[in-house]
Amino acid sequence: MKHEILRKEDLNPKDYLMEVKAPMVAEKIQPGQFVVLMTHPKGERIPMSVQKAENGNVTMFIRKLGKTSVALYTYKVGDHFENVIGPMGNAVEIKKYGNVAVCSDLVCGHAENYALCKALSQVDGNHVISMQTFPSKDMMYLEEELRGVSDEYYITIEDGSYGINGHYRDVLEKLMKQGKIDMVFAGGRTGEYELLAELTKAYNVPTMVTLRSIMVDATGMCGSCRVFIDGEMKLACIDGPMFDAHKVNYTELLNRVNMFKKQEAIALENYNKMR
Amino acid sequence: MVKLIKNRVRMPELSVEARTKTFDEVPLGYSEEQAINEAKRCLQCKDSPCTKNCPVNVNVNAFIKELAEGNFKEAFLKIKQDNAIPAIAGRVCPQENQCEGACTMGKAGDPINIGKLESFLGDWAMENGVREEFVIKENDQKVAIIGSGPTGISCAVDLRKHGYKVTIFEALHKAGGVLQYGIPEFRLPKKVVDKELSYLKEIGVDIRLNNIVGQNISFDELRDEYNAIYIGTGAGAPFFVGIEGEALNGVYSANEFLIRTNLMKAYKFPEYDTLLFVGKRVGVIGAGNVAMDSARSALRNGAEVYIIYRRTKEHSPAREEELRHALEEGINFMELVAPTKILGENGWVTGIELVKMKLGEADKSGRPRPEKIEGSEFVMELDTLVEAIGTMPNRLFLRTVPELKTSSRGIIEADENLRNIEGVYAGGDAISGGATVIQALGEGRKAAKSIHEYLSAR
Repeated sequence: MKHEILRKEDLNPKDYLMEVKAPMVAEKIQPGQFVVLMTHPKGERIPMSVQKAENGNVTMFIRKLGKTSVALYTYKVGDHFENVIGPMGNAVEIKKYGNVAVCSDLVCGHAENYALCKALSQVDGNHVISMQTFPSKDMMYLEEELRGVSDEYYITIEDGSYGINGHYRDVLEKLMKQGKIDMVFAGGRTGEYELLAELTKAYNVPTMVTLRSIMVDATGMCGSCRVFIDGEMKLACIDGPMFDAHKVNYTELLNRVNMFKKQEAIALENYNKMR
Repeated sequence: MVKLIKNRVRMPELSVEARTKTFDEVPLGYSEEQAINEAKRCLQCKDSPCTKNCPVNVNVNAFIKELAEGNFKEAFLKIKQDNAIPAIAGRVCPQENQCEGACTMGKAGDPINIGKLESFLGDWAMENGVREEFVIKENDQKVAIIGSGPTGISCAVDLRKHGYKVTIFEALHKAGGVLQYGIPEFRLPKKVVDKELSYLKEIGVDIRLNNIVGQNISFDELRDEYNAIYIGTGAGAPFFVGIEGEALNGVYSANEFLIRTNLMKAYKFPEYDTLLFVGKRVGVIGAGNVAMDSARSALRNGAEVYIIYRRTKEHSPAREEELRHALEEGINFMELVAPTKILGENGWVTGIELVKMKLGEADKSGRPRPEKIEGSEFVMELDTLVEAIGTMPNRLFLRTVPELKTSSRGIIEADENLRNIEGVYAGGDAISGGATVIQALGEGRKAAKSIHEYLSAR
């Protein structure tokens, strides 16, 4: 099964967008769920967030990070992927949450931010607050689209070059102090989750975070993505990918995402040499 | 008076030295002459204990008789009457507990090498393009099979012979189930699996890859669209021991280790992209076939490997040949030890705490129950640990089908006709929790018969 690339755009110097034909996936995927990509028959299976699924097409945000994502960037519109498989994982329950914040500070999170805001804003009684964080102004994207699918929007830039100086947590804290947040969804940098969890716990605000652990089949077979939730082993692929932020063991999670770091570096180095 | 030839025609094998450097198949296969000579040892017992002891009752006497006379095609067709995938079953069946275990020749010397004769014929037929010939009288009824492993394959073949339109839904990007993701190349070359699967396509079975029932197609949709469903989803979810330290890096389930190796071909990196970390000292918990497969895969990645087993070698549930190969290849077999804690530093496994065991009274499986010797804990240094203590049916599928009858441990129930609820049948590891390829084949065939009875009575 081949999937044609219909659109490819740079989001910033590190991240790019790809829209591919995947009708079987697009028809079923819901916010919170993800897909697995294989770029070529000898490729690896990598999980990927989805921003939009419309008209039989799936739009993904991808960071040039490892061999697969760097190599995929060389694909052109009209080229084909080997496989887009999914939907994987569980959908977020789209219901009335009240004042709901959707936060992101990394490529995968930004994609899901859009998908979630769009769905949540269609429910009566939800006031959807979208928040994004970027390290610098030149890395920004999606502001306009997110404004279009949310009731309130904040952008924070960590080097102070645009918008609000800081991290989305700073905005969140202000709003929580005013009692204006009932629920938080967050996606992005794993390393920031623990601080987020401490903060929202202090204000007693339920918080769900998307966990990005290493996956192979992403159907519950390999156990690579195991995470510990309140001491109990869960699989991010089939029990998640969203979990209660207040119950995740972040130390173990942060450690496990580095399991193949050395090999990943070698793979990328090999690829760059061959190019 | 027939002269008994006590010894088997020796199966040529890859040298032990060569094996540590390659994933190539270990047994090199009989030549035609060797196969005929081995077949000639058969006594053609009237009561055929071999056939009686085979889960699918392959007519062993009949195929060996033809083989002994050099009639390869006839011999092959005799097996095919009962076994859809002889080239595979011949390689992975635990023959010592089945046909060969019951072989009369085994009392006087070596039992007939039935498994290797079976795979010889399967390979011969593939190489020579010999097929089972039959005419399919098409009908309009449709059957969906969930899972393309052994039980799905055998069910699909029989249903096609009856003329049903058969569609197999496979979650992964390659068909074959455990034959593809679980069993390594050195035991079951993937070209053999692919050939057997290409035969399914030839007879008109539609195999849909990357179709995860419950995710991109719902069970209800299947029930609407198909007249019957066969569930052959296997037991693809790993058990973990449940001890401290399982979150450490360097700790794998055998499923992960083997999926990376077999399905994703990590051993061919960088030709293939998938990564695998294998350290210098690898421990494998368990002593079944999956443990042997993991251990021997690790060895081929250059590691020193230790099997960690709570009973003794003779109680290992692994196939005799796998155990022998593992030991020949230099796998260290630690008996009467059980893991109590995984030790780590800086997030990586550095060792394992083991406790010594002794054998007690027989348990339900008939094997002696291993018992802890209190205070006998000791530490062994390791940098990689693979847990191969069994699998269970995948809860991903079960969660989306609450209407199915299941036992508490997620095993799908099936009555004596392999029926679960109306129009829905199940077999293979999904109903046993983990058995053999041949049992799965037998159940696929039995389900096909039940489905045919159900659909033709409508």
